[in-house]
Amino acid sequence: MKTIMIVEDEKSIRDELKTLLETSGYKVILLERFDNTLEDILKSKFDLLLLDINLPKMNGETLLKEFRKQSNIPVIMVTSRVGETDEVLSMSYGADDYITKPYNPTILLLRISNIFKRMEKSTDFLTYDDIKVYQGKGILMKGEEILDLTKNEMIIFSYLLNNRSNIVTRDELMTELWNNEEYINENALTVNISRLRAKLESFGIENAIETRKGLGYKLL
Amino acid sequence: MKFSKYVFDKWLEILFALFGYFIVLMMLFAFKISKEVIIGITVVFLLFFIMIILTGYIKRRRFYTNLINNVDKLDKKYLVLEMLNEPSFYDGKILYQVLYEINKSMNENVKDLEISLNDFKEYVELWIHEIKLPISSLVLMNHNHKTNVDKKYDEQIRRIDDYVDQILYFVRSENAEKDYLIKDTSLKKVINSVAMKNKNDLLERNISFEVELSDIKVLTDSKWLEFIVNQVVSNSMKYTKDNNSIIKISAVETSKQVDLIIYDNGIGIPEKDIKRVFEKTFTGENGRATSKSTGMGLYIVKKLCRKLGHKVRIESKEGEYTKVVISFAKNDFYKIGD
Repeated sequence: MKTIMIVEDEKSIRDELKTLLETSGYKVILLERFDNTLEDILKSKFDLLLLDINLPKMNGETLLKEFRKQSNIPVIMVTSRVGETDEVLSMSYGADDYITKPYNPTILLLRISNIFKRMEKSTDFLTYDDIKVYQGKGILMKGEEILDLTKNEMIIFSYLLNNRSNIVTRDELMTELWNNEEYINENALTVNISRLRAKLESFGIENAIETRKGLGYKLL
Repeated sequence: MKFSKYVFDKWLEILFALFGYFIVLMMLFAFKISKEVIIGITVVFLLFFIMIILTGYIKRRRFYTNLINNVDKLDKKYLVLEMLNEPSFYDGKILYQVLYEINKSMNENVKDLEISLNDFKEYVELWIHEIKLPISSLVLMNHNHKTNVDKKYDEQIRRIDDYVDQILYFVRSENAEKDYLIKDTSLKKVINSVAMKNKNDLLERNISFEVELSDIKVLTDSKWLEFIVNQVVSNSMKYTKDNNSIIKISAVETSKQVDLIIYDNGIGIPEKDIKRVFEKTFTGENGRATSKSTGMGLYIVKKLCRKLGHKVRIESKEGEYTKVVISFAKNDFYKIGD
């Protein structure tokens, strides 16, 4: 289980972020006092840091700069300041991503999982039981057999696969698709899912995608 | 400075001189001085009198002609003192000193206003930063504690956020300072941010969002452009017809510029209104009909575009479509060490 550290001085946001990340299957460490922020961060063990820019005493950008001297753990900067300068500065200090408040929670989760995925990526394919999933090429391979998927179908399938044991809501799928510049509507999503089901069935994978009424989908 | 007017202005001095001359003449006659001497004295008297008038005139003419010409030429007329030397004659010195004092006090006044305007601007930026915190909390809470109306909450929160951004960019567009950063920006990325922001609203209202963009980069501030496009898209979403609504975003690239085109098949803009849509607080027929319009959105868009050096224009046919085109000039000047 991945651990995420939240450095955010606004209590209500901090608590809600904790709930959000915990329900998404992450372990969360919170920082409640900001007297020795840098030392506290360096002492803690975590896999990703969510760092606010406006903090008491030492601002997030300076913290990031100091933190980068000693660690390569990914950092996402979070801020309510709207300005290109802050973003450019943060990125140049070595932030992995930059998000402005108020952010869409689903997008935040996506960005986090993207960073983890980028770190783990040693192979260019995912596996689904005995099937290799090549996202870039848009194909599934079972032995020598090949199944072609369209871009949308591949996005949906990969997302379900990455969240295999969980229920995935339609909203999450929609967010993932839109985030990949596929601006489809509700009907098109339904069509894409049934087409994906039919394709998987023709490939010998039957009833792989389960519909949970009112909740979403689950890849078995 | 006219000589005749100057002479006319000296009528009192001339009167006294004539009077003095007349008394001297009487005295000369009384002492039976010869005609030749009288003529000689008259000539000398006249010569010196003309010289007095002339030197006074020439001194003043130099100063005042300079003053008048400079005031005419200068764009910022209050800077005129910088162009003048202090005159050598007494009344000119007084004028010069007074002008200097007036200038100083006006400068102080302007400075005070500038400071208070800047304070206000800083406060607004700070306030926006603060208000974004509760908005963020609300978004997260709404996500964490799902209810069956959460999409409606989301929509309202997004509206609050949009209006807050509008103030922020209004303040930024009114201010002379440069707080933007021009760099190579991917249009796709900007459009994606706008799409994600409006995703729920678009899906909820069944507006189809079509994007046809290749990998075009333009020189702009991505945050400002995001705000601009978001304003235009918000308008498109506001003024839809009842069904089959489409918002279509595309771009045309030529050797000189890139045109970003935001098209919608909404209710359009009446011909009599179209020239005025970029004016401050202009709402037009459509705005009055829905009463949701402040008339500020497109005004801010125009101002931001002007600051960034982009052109923005709008085409429309009432009842059929509206098309907003933002043009980005291609300028190698901004490309630093690419």
